[in-house]
This record gives sequence, structure tokens and C-alpha cells, in this order.
Amino acid sequence: MESPRISFYNEIKRNKRNSFLLISVVLLILLALVYAISAVVSREYTFIILIIGTIVSLLYVVISYYKSADIAIKSVGAKKASKSQFPMYHSLVEGIALASGLPKPKLYVMEEKQINAFASGRDPKNAVICMTTGALAKLDKQELEGVIAHEMSHIANYDIRFMTLTAVLVGLISIISQIFLRSLWYGGGSGGGKDKSKVIFLIIAIVLAILSPILVALVQLAISRKREYAADSTAVKFMRTPTGLQSALKKIQHNSEPQKKVPDAVSSLFLAKPSKSKEWFMTHPPLSKRIAKLDRM
Amino acid sequence: MNIWIWVAIIVVVVMILMFLYYYNSFITLLQRIKNSKSQITVQLKKRSDLVPNLVNMVKGYMKHEKSVLTEVTNARASMMKAKGFEGKVKAGNQLQDALKSLFAVSESYPDLKASQNFLQLQTEVAAIEDKVAYARQYYNDSILSYNTMTQKVPGMWFAGIYGFKKQDYFEIPEEEKAAPKVQF
Repeated sequence: MESPRISFYNEIKRNKRNSFLLISVVLLILLALVYAISAVVSREYTFIILIIGTIVSLLYVVISYYKSADIAIKSVGAKKASKSQFPMYHSLVEGIALASGLPKPKLYVMEEKQINAFASGRDPKNAVICMTTGALAKLDKQELEGVIAHEMSHIANYDIRFMTLTAVLVGLISIISQIFLRSLWYGGGSGGGKDKSKVIFLIIAIVLAILSPILVALVQLAISRKREYAADSTAVKFMRTPTGLQSALKKIQHNSEPQKKVPDAVSSLFLAKPSKSKEWFMTHPPLSKRIAKLDRM
Repeated sequence: MNIWIWVAIIVVVVMILMFLYYYNSFITLLQRIKNSKSQITVQLKKRSDLVPNLVNMVKGYMKHEKSVLTEVTNARASMMKAKGFEGKVKAGNQLQDALKSLFAVSESYPDLKASQNFLQLQTEVAAIEDKVAYARQYYNDSILSYNTMTQKVPGMWFAGIYGFKKQDYFEIPEEEKAAPKVQF
């Protein structure tokens, strides 16, 4: 039992490092994008636009980082789960909190027939867990505990911080490129294409505006799929048995309730992918692969 | 000549950083052990606080099971008196066994089993049982990572310098988690 414990802490370190790397890369892309855009819009005010753009972006990132849990909760329309109404939910979370040494997160419920759940927040002290009403109704005690252990693993591994950051940054980049691409329809480059360097910048800006959201999203998704396996195995470490989580995943597999549309930015936070999409754009590995991996634990 | 001064400075800085890092790691791990111990005692206390209510409620139904009830009451009394972490855990185990036999006996009292209050107390005790098991699991994990740190190179050297000793592995069995599950 010694090595998994150690790798568990390595997981956290790697996640913190990844978070840092991701922010730096995205900020660089962002600066390049803002610079290219400002060069196109107006050469004279490039510097001012750059500064204002950076300040606004940073404000956006900082605010959404600190409000991330609230935003995620509000965007899916979840409500606080009271202790009197959901005593088992609370008691199971308290148990896993003890097993993992984490503080108890805030608990929420969202109205949804499909079995699903997600965790969010910027660190274990400011974490939330949200269950669908379907999960609370259809899973038995052990399965529910398995799902909770999986979500608590996302919290313990600092996945929630990483996911929150990526969601925020992906959102920011796509907002900027949207604004820019749309503004091209209306204004066009003021002053026409006399300036050669302006044309080059225009091309760079367009390419960046189109490519950067896709690139960042692909990186985010690839990492997020790996994270699901890691969270499954950490959950087994907390529970000391894979049975609960495994049978919960099987139930999701056989459940054919249609899922409500969930905003893209939060879809990677969920236990199982909430939308049907092509493999590259999947936030989660296929359920059958996850069940098979749990079999080998 | 200048190069050697730089090398010396870098070596000293790295050494200082390592000393700080290992000291902080040991403190963090010790803190974790302390925390896990207090979590266990909190849960044990919660369980023993449920006992008077439970005994009062059961007394009326179980006229012929005096010995089971006194066993529970005694176990709780020794739990209250128990000193130190080890003593409390031992008393907690005793109380757990006593409660187990109480719930086993209760199976033959349909009136009691039909009581809403009793059912609620039973679920509460079972939930605490699970939490005790999880808290123990965390305690065992914490001791393990601390001891691993004191025994592996280079943590071993720093443990020697700072005087952090391997903690006695007061192993608490984990298998009890599977024990009294309430069936409906």
C-alpha cells in the first residue's frame, strides 16, 4: 500500500505543475492574440489596447477563478442539499472526507434524471460536490459512496483547480477570438490594405483566433481524460474496494435517460460525459474502458 | 577562483533549502497523524453519546436481555473514563462489540424493530461505524507515510538530524468496516 500513497502525492504535484504550465502557455497565446489583434485594429494605439486587453483579461481570470464553484453551480441550476433532506448523501461525504483527510465540501443537488455528478472549486477548502437527483434516487448506498469517492478524488488530486483554470482560460480565449472574428464582418481593417505588415498581422490574428480555442480545448480534453482514470484509482484507495464505483458506472452505461444540455465549459467536470461528441472532443474515456480498469484493481 | 565561490554558495543554498523542505515535510506529516487521531476520537465520542438514548429506548422492550444492556452501559462508562488515544480506541472497540450484540439481539423483538426512533438510532450508529472505519484508515495511512519518510533515504538522514523518530505503528484493524450494516 506504500507506493500508491506516494504516487497520490505525485499526482497532486503534477497537477499543480500542469496548472502553472497551462496558465503560462495560455497567457502567451493570449498575449500574441491580443497583440496581433491590436496591430490590425490600429497601429497607433497598439500599446494601449494591449495594456487594456491584458488588464481586462487578468480581471476576468481572477474573478472567475475565485467565483468558479458558484459559476459552475449556477450554470447547471443546482440547489444546496440540506442535511435534513439528504442525510445519507451528507453522511457518506463525511465518511470519505475522513478517509481522505479533506475538509467536507459544500453539497449541491441538480434536477436531472440521468445519473451524474461533478466536483468544482479552486482548492479543497473551497470545493463543492453536486449530484443529480437521478444519482441520489437510482444508486444504492455503496454505489453512491463510490461516486462520491470519485468526486472527492478530483478534489484531493487538485483536478478541480486545473479544470477550473482550463474552463476559465478556454472561455476567455474563445470570447476574445469571437469578438475579433465578428468585428471583422463589420469594421474590416480601418484604412484598407495599404500597409503590408497590417495584412500579415491580420492573417496571423485570424489564424490565431480560429486555432487557439481549438488547440487549448484539445489539450484540455486530453488531460481531462487521463484525470478520470486517476480519480477512479484514487477513489478505490479511499474506499479500499472498486465494487461501488464500478457498479455505479455500469448503471450509467445501462441507463438510457436523455441528458439535459450542459454548458460546454462545465462538461469536463462531470462524472460521466454529459453530451454525445466525437472521440477527440470527449472529456471522458469510454465507460467500458473505465469499468475494465477497475476490474484489474 | 570566482567559480569556486559560486559553487560553494549554490551548494549552501541547496542544503538550506533541503533542510527547510524536509523539516516542513516532517511537520506536515506529524500534523496529519495528530489530526487523524483527533478525528477518530471525535467519532468515538459521538458514538458513545448515542448510547444513553439507545439504552433508554431499548430498555422497555428487552426485559430478558439485562446482560446485553449492562454490557453496553459498562462499555460506555469505560469509554468515558478512558485516557489517552490508545485507551480510547480500546474502549471504543469494546463498545462497538457490545453494540453489535445489542443489535443482534434486537432482531428478535419485532416491536422494537418497528419503532421509528430505534431505526433512526440504528442508522446513526451504523453511519458512525463507517466513519470510525474511515478515520482509522486515514490514521493508518498517515502513520505509514510518516514512517516511510523516516526510513527512506534521504528522509532518513534528516529524521536523524532533527530527531524525528519512527512512530509506533499502533495498528487498528480496518476490516470492521464491513461489520454491522443495517439491512432494511
